[in-house]
Amino acid sequence: MAPEGARLGGVVADLEVSRAWLVDPAIGREGPGDIVVEDGVLRSVVWLDGAEAEGIDDRGVVVAPGLVDLHAHFREPGFEDAETVATGMAAAAHGGFTTVCAMANTSPAIDEASVLVRVREAAERSGSPVELLVYGAVSAGRKGETLAALGELSDGGAIGFSDDGAPVRSAAILRHALAYAGMLGRVIVDHPEEPILTDGAEANEGLVATILGLKGWPTAAEASAVGRDLAILTEVLADVPAARLHLTHLSTAASLELVRRAKAAGLPVTCDITPHHLALTDEWLAGARRWAWEALDEDGRARSPWADGALVAGPFDPTLRVNPPLRSALDAAALLAALVDGTADAIATDHAPHTRVDKEVEFGLAANGISGIETALGIVLAAVDAGRLPLSRAIEALTTGPGGVLHGWGWGGSRRLVEGEAADLVLFDRSTPWRVEAAGLASRGKNTPLLGRDLPGRVLLTVAGGRLAYEEPG
Amino acid sequence: MSLVAPDGTGIDLPAVAPSPGGSGTQLRWSHRHLLDLDVVTWPEIELVMRTTDAMREVLARPIAKVPALRGTGVTILFYEASTRTRVSFEVAAKNLSADVVNIAAASSSVAKGESLVDTIRTVEALGADMIVMRHGTSGAPYLAAEHFGGSILNGGDGWHAHPSQALLDLYTIREHLPGGPDLHGRKVVILGDVLHSRVARSNVWSLTAAGADLWLCGPATLLRGFDRWAAAMGAAPGHGRFTVTADLDAALRDADVVMALRIQRERMSGGLLPSLREYAARFGLTLERLGAARPDVLIMHPGPMNEGVEIAPEVAIDPRSVITDQVTNGVAVRMALLYLLAGAAGHHRETSGG
Repeated sequence: MAPEGARLGGVVADLEVSRAWLVDPAIGREGPGDIVVEDGVLRSVVWLDGAEAEGIDDRGVVVAPGLVDLHAHFREPGFEDAETVATGMAAAAHGGFTTVCAMANTSPAIDEASVLVRVREAAERSGSPVELLVYGAVSAGRKGETLAALGELSDGGAIGFSDDGAPVRSAAILRHALAYAGMLGRVIVDHPEEPILTDGAEANEGLVATILGLKGWPTAAEASAVGRDLAILTEVLADVPAARLHLTHLSTAASLELVRRAKAAGLPVTCDITPHHLALTDEWLAGARRWAWEALDEDGRARSPWADGALVAGPFDPTLRVNPPLRSALDAAALLAALVDGTADAIATDHAPHTRVDKEVEFGLAANGISGIETALGIVLAAVDAGRLPLSRAIEALTTGPGGVLHGWGWGGSRRLVEGEAADLVLFDRSTPWRVEAAGLASRGKNTPLLGRDLPGRVLLTVAGGRLAYEEPG
Repeated sequence: MSLVAPDGTGIDLPAVAPSPGGSGTQLRWSHRHLLDLDVVTWPEIELVMRTTDAMREVLARPIAKVPALRGTGVTILFYEASTRTRVSFEVAAKNLSADVVNIAAASSSVAKGESLVDTIRTVEALGADMIVMRHGTSGAPYLAAEHFGGSILNGGDGWHAHPSQALLDLYTIREHLPGGPDLHGRKVVILGDVLHSRVARSNVWSLTAAGADLWLCGPATLLRGFDRWAAAMGAAPGHGRFTVTADLDAALRDADVVMALRIQRERMSGGLLPSLREYAARFGLTLERLGAARPDVLIMHPGPMNEGVEIAPEVAIDPRSVITDQVTNGVAVRMALLYLLAGAAGHHRETSGG
């Protein structure tokens, strides 16, 4: 099965995978099959049936198109001790991703073409075949006061614009940016947060924050920003029909309901959710370690971890500090529902590596973010294993879902298992779990609350654009 | 267990009564750290109460000093200004003959940007066996406990917990409550800025465990979230009632104990309250309002007080006030905690006999 003589970055000359479970969301098909890759090209895709398919199920080796991440932080330039483009791409490949969109909150911010060029050159130098797309900043220095060099960044290949790490603070700047980016055929990606409501906030407002004495982070801080963004988009569209808005890392039931209604009304808005907001909840801050769907009772009500003995770890683990914060089990259930009904277009990792210096501190002083690109697939498959999410929808939300969003922004790539195209795929094994360990992570950021935990879906092989991106050692 | 005083007389330390039909083994304190009371059982709280009784006997002697912690290094590491808690711990540790080091963190290398973890490692390298820690960030002592080989005693962290205060409150209530120390069904009201209060949070654990009928009362902006806690705990078996309300009259009616919390001036700037004047008018604890409580109600305050704001001056000095008893008992409770934690960590000079 292993690709013959391939090395990382090299063309996959010869790869045969027999009797695996193929998932191709582009044609809505999954089932037993064989694939053959020759000289980087997907030479054959054979769907098996009848006696040939006997004994093959979706619990073993799965072949899917390469995963697409709309939201990652690779920290270069400026924070290379937390991550570099090269280590970020290696982490992406280990996580099964073959296309990644890097955020612009570097230092300096990617607010002019020269910085963008540096990032693209670093990607080139890394030798990784993973496709790196880069956002430019919306505002100069991400300060929310004046527009960044949007035209220049667009000409330089920016996939869109985002001030992520922070919201586009000024509603006026957002209004102008949506119009100007629309003129350029580009999207604005907003991190929706009303900062006045989150000043000093530490944890999702609710039972856990109350008991732990952490300053509450209201869900309304996100929903009110989503409402603002949608109202502004509606008005801008009257003048600039090409204006596009994408809302990233939505974490609350209320925000997703607003997007559901906006989509029903025909607004050109898309959104993503993260694996950690889908599967982890604020009760992890108190020491619970169960998945979000395990924290609801039969009637769909959130259980108190203090009442039912779910507290198994110490409280205040700073790896759990993230923006937006981990929410309640009810919010997580709303995210799952939004994923299933298509309100959420994609799962995006918000991979946010940090150094120990920035993370191994008091909870309220810790940097926000979870290093998550290597555990995203595993978390999503945990939801699949629990029967909360069909495998086909999970893969769709990690491939054609974000791919479709990117197509709307002018991306020319594709995610499908079609003979004659460059092989772009991931192989993972659902039959045996893998243990998340710091030494096993390619990312420099070891800041994940999942260290020591077993996750389903061990990635065996990642092929990007016909070239070898990751191969399981040994 | 026994303590030996310098004059040679021993003091018997209590053990929790053996369970009926049990083997008669004594309950031992098993926690290496005291970070909050959520993980402390009621029998363990009773052990603290009885150990405090013994420490009060020590304090009643002409020379209030025993050698129980001789050779044990106790570092008092405070990242926030404090007088009464810091001095109370210091006196307690010295009464047990510990070697006490005081670090006001604002004036140490912390001001130069040293991380908490580095500070803890440094304090350990300098010989500390126990650290009494106060920090402005909720949860900070948990981080310290992960990186310290000895015992951490939480002297207050952010809004989160102040376990020694809650235990001295409980001790004081049990000592003075008319009708005896059993709190089952007795109405205890905590009044004021509950939201920002680590004292209130730790008291929730100990008072509900004691079976008290606990009421938290204050303006709606300063109670936010606590109704969820009350609802979540309502299901827990063996615990007392837990009510959260902004209705002061309902809270004070027939109360056995009323504890007023400090209102801080900065709550006005955040828009949580219109003014101190309005707070005093609507929620200030006055003699007139106390008329609704039981005639022998206990009046408490963790200090420091804003007299004329959350508590009227004549209430603070009313014969029913046990505010100065809280301070006195604070030393005995902290001696008990240091003693028990040292025992769990194996620092006792001598513990046998008794």
